[in-house]
Amino acid sequence: MKPDLRNNRDFIAGLLFIVLGALAAFLARNYPFGSTMRMGPGYFPTVLGVILLLFGVYVLARGLRSGDKVKGEWGWKPLALIAASIVLFGVLLDRAGMVPAAVVTLVVAAAAGRDFRFKEVLLLAVVMTTFSVVVFSYGLKLPYPLLGSY
Amino acid sequence: MDLLANLALGFGVAFSLENLAYCFAGVALGTLIGVLPGVGPLVTIAMLFPITFHLPAVPAIIMLAGIFYGAQYGGSTTSILVNLPGETASAVTCIDGYQMARRGRAGPALATAALASFFAGCVGTLLIALAGPTLGEWALNFGAAEYTSLMLMALVASAVMTQGDSAKGLAMVVLGLLVGVVGVDVNSGMSRYSFGIPELVDGIGFTVVAVGLFAVAEIVVNLESREPREVYTGKVTGLMPTAQDIRDAAWPTVRGTAMGACFGVLPGTGPALSSFATYMLEKKLARDPSRFGSGAIEGVAAPEAANNAAAQTAFIPMLTLGIPASATMAVMLAALTLQGIAAGPQVMLEKPDLFWGLIASMWIGNCLLVVLNLPLVGIWVRLLTVPYRWLFPSIILFCCIGNYSVSNNPFDVYLCAIIGVLGYVLVKLECEPAPLLLGYVLGPLLEENLRRALLIARGDPTVFFTRPLSLVFMIATLLILVIMVAPAARRNRQPK
Amino acid sequence: MQDRSIVRLLTLALVLGAAHSALAQAPYPARPIRFLVGFPPGGTNDIVARAIAPKFSEFLGQSVVIENRGGANASIATDLAAHAAPDGYTILLVAPGHATNPALLKLNFDSINDFAFITLLAESQNLLVVHPSLPARTVKELIALSKRRPGDINYGSSGTGTTTHLSAELFQYMTGIKWTHIPYKGGGPGLVALISGEVSLYFGNVPTVIRQARAGKVRAVATTGSKRTPAAPDIPTVAESGVPGYEVTTAYGMAAPAKTPRAIVDRLHADVVRVLNSPDVSNRLRALGADPIGNTPEQYTAFVKNEISKWGKVIKAAGIKGE
Repeated sequence: MKPDLRNNRDFIAGLLFIVLGALAAFLARNYPFGSTMRMGPGYFPTVLGVILLLFGVYVLARGLRSGDKVKGEWGWKPLALIAASIVLFGVLLDRAGMVPAAVVTLVVAAAAGRDFRFKEVLLLAVVMTTFSVVVFSYGLKLPYPLLGSY
Repeated sequence: MDLLANLALGFGVAFSLENLAYCFAGVALGTLIGVLPGVGPLVTIAMLFPITFHLPAVPAIIMLAGIFYGAQYGGSTTSILVNLPGETASAVTCIDGYQMARRGRAGPALATAALASFFAGCVGTLLIALAGPTLGEWALNFGAAEYTSLMLMALVASAVMTQGDSAKGLAMVVLGLLVGVVGVDVNSGMSRYSFGIPELVDGIGFTVVAVGLFAVAEIVVNLESREPREVYTGKVTGLMPTAQDIRDAAWPTVRGTAMGACFGVLPGTGPALSSFATYMLEKKLARDPSRFGSGAIEGVAAPEAANNAAAQTAFIPMLTLGIPASATMAVMLAALTLQGIAAGPQVMLEKPDLFWGLIASMWIGNCLLVVLNLPLVGIWVRLLTVPYRWLFPSIILFCCIGNYSVSNNPFDVYLCAIIGVLGYVLVKLECEPAPLLLGYVLGPLLEENLRRALLIARGDPTVFFTRPLSLVFMIATLLILVIMVAPAARRNRQPK
Repeated sequence: MQDRSIVRLLTLALVLGAAHSALAQAPYPARPIRFLVGFPPGGTNDIVARAIAPKFSEFLGQSVVIENRGGANASIATDLAAHAAPDGYTILLVAPGHATNPALLKLNFDSINDFAFITLLAESQNLLVVHPSLPARTVKELIALSKRRPGDINYGSSGTGTTTHLSAELFQYMTGIKWTHIPYKGGGPGLVALISGEVSLYFGNVPTVIRQARAGKVRAVATTGSKRTPAAPDIPTVAESGVPGYEVTTAYGMAAPAKTPRAIVDRLHADVVRVLNSPDVSNRLRALGADPIGNTPEQYTAFVKNEISKWGKVIKAAGIKGE
């Protein structure tokens, strides 16, 4: 069986768990460990990291044996655009105000979709931003600047 | 009998036009808040705090209480419609509720959630009326050892939660435990995994994790392929649950209510633990457990009943002992304090109109919620027919606002994006998000109480077995382990 | 066509620019004021701020908007305030942790010199309560009992570094006894632990704990302030019961960024003192267990300096480590 590891579902999952588990245990190395009856702050995270790593090894080995593939395609472009839209919101809210932040977020997020129609998106942005301003700023009195920074 | 006289007093108070109006305002507002991700009852109650200065005590607390349990109702709406838990406890409703929505059964799911919650709310209110102080005293028996064995039992049972792959499911629980570790360690005061970033010192917030793992990941999955994926099947089959649905959901609702009522009284655990626990119980009890995760109505009814029952009984420690079980309760307690009312052991005797009026209005509030929410089901379902390309950017926007509003800090928004990316990868690799959330909620409680129990017992581990309540939970844990290790449970179930 | 729209745009920009600078010239306060609170809504800090804000807005003539920026024991909000523009439109609710954070956390600001302290808004005390099963009724009996059973008595707190913890640390420091610290996450769980008997001793904040004491669930021993609290005049202070000089108060204050003009500081001071003196605000604060103070900026600055140095010593002696 020719292992196409790049799409082997359990192989990647196992690898991910191994990396995360090892990272957790490594980062916790300086926290005082203590003993089982008097656990220090490092005990739990280290033990958990090791357990995660072991699970990862098991899943990885299983993946090598079964070779199950990841279903569907990886949506890197939508993922990047959605993530970007969220980050942009955080960046813009404090600096440019809620209205620009909302509009930018909506437009960038919409770009992640298959069917991007500019005029429609703009209309959606206006409607949704207005709705948000009414509900959040006027309704709930959340003190966010609408335009510009504080 | 005293109880009837008290209830009569209570209803007399609650049915006044003023109090009815405030009750309605509270539950309506609470439902709206629950629907919006991130903006929880805590923020709302705090915002409305100054209003309570101008109101007499009874309508003020009626309104605030309405917001609180109304939010539990609303939280399930987004869980079912867009796989986004509005409250911690609603996370479990996502699992089957959202799947029901995808199969055109959003109407029955929403209606069942409303009805189950109503039943649970009534029972919860009745419990407070009948046995409030007793339950409050009972909750005091829960010390560190009991919490530890309880959490241990819950975590072991969580293997039951996983749909297919137990190994990956448990790995997700462990990952969730690790996410919960981030922040200050209660027992030593040391900051863990915070990398010198002040925002991480208090840990990673629930909203950030839930939105990233559930909502963001789901949205990207829906967008990933070039061909449109039918997010919701066009045909919406009826708005109301069928007779079969009601039969299926009946017992789970009762069991969920029982669990919620018990756990809600325990300070600190409450709605989240009870909804997770009932889900696991129902899955174990069902004749065909493989239906869970693909739209089993029991998976909606039980957790919803549980979290609403817990939301009612959560008032017990505050009213009868004067001890707030959560931050939201603390604000309500403060509102009472500022009115000059000392909530505590005496409040039932000193201010019967407040106590019984509140209980009566909680029942009225539950009725109002059903009256409010059932017609809304039609509107929500109509919302699902909106083209997805309009829906998902709006969801992202509300999530961003919600995340930001938790601490007014853009950091939470950035973190959500990171978790969203990780969440998408995990979902693609068929690792379910719900077990991670369970680990994240329970993990810190387990560690905190385990170390505390050992500290108090000066390192003596037998304490978990010598205290009666703790012993009960430990035995239950052992039983669950035995059942799981038995061959039938070990078989790797095929995911749907 | 292009030119006309450019001209229109430029005119608009000029008008806006002029309006903005006109606004800046307007008498203080010309727009809403940000009131930074370092804890999420609902905590005592937040409630103190919300008890004051409405009347404060009234006297100032502009809304005082509460902005919750919780995190890291209020140090995130404090950091923001330290680096905000010193134009009088940002003020900070100085949390009790301001005095202890320098010793426990890595801070990006100078806790004394980055601020223009306005006034000490209110102070509350803690009440030392014990579980009824503990055979000690007075401070002297408690000290004697603790000397006989070193390290044996468990006391609860609402978290490492909080006043409930540090009250106990100061007590041990000044009397030479040793208790075992059992930290909890917040005041609610800590109090529950005391009532259920899981811990025997707790320094809780007065309003919450006094209820339990009056109901007989716990026994009140002494208060931590320098004077008896009006909420419980029958309970002696620790200082008068055998530990002279013992004082722990939870202080809530107000400050602005360091270079805020003196005229603005004085204006804020004058108005907030009026707020503190008004009967409904002072009653509300007292109901929370906080006695309104309202001293001068100089007095408050001296107070802050004193607290920081005192707690620095106690924290070091107790070996409490933060990050």
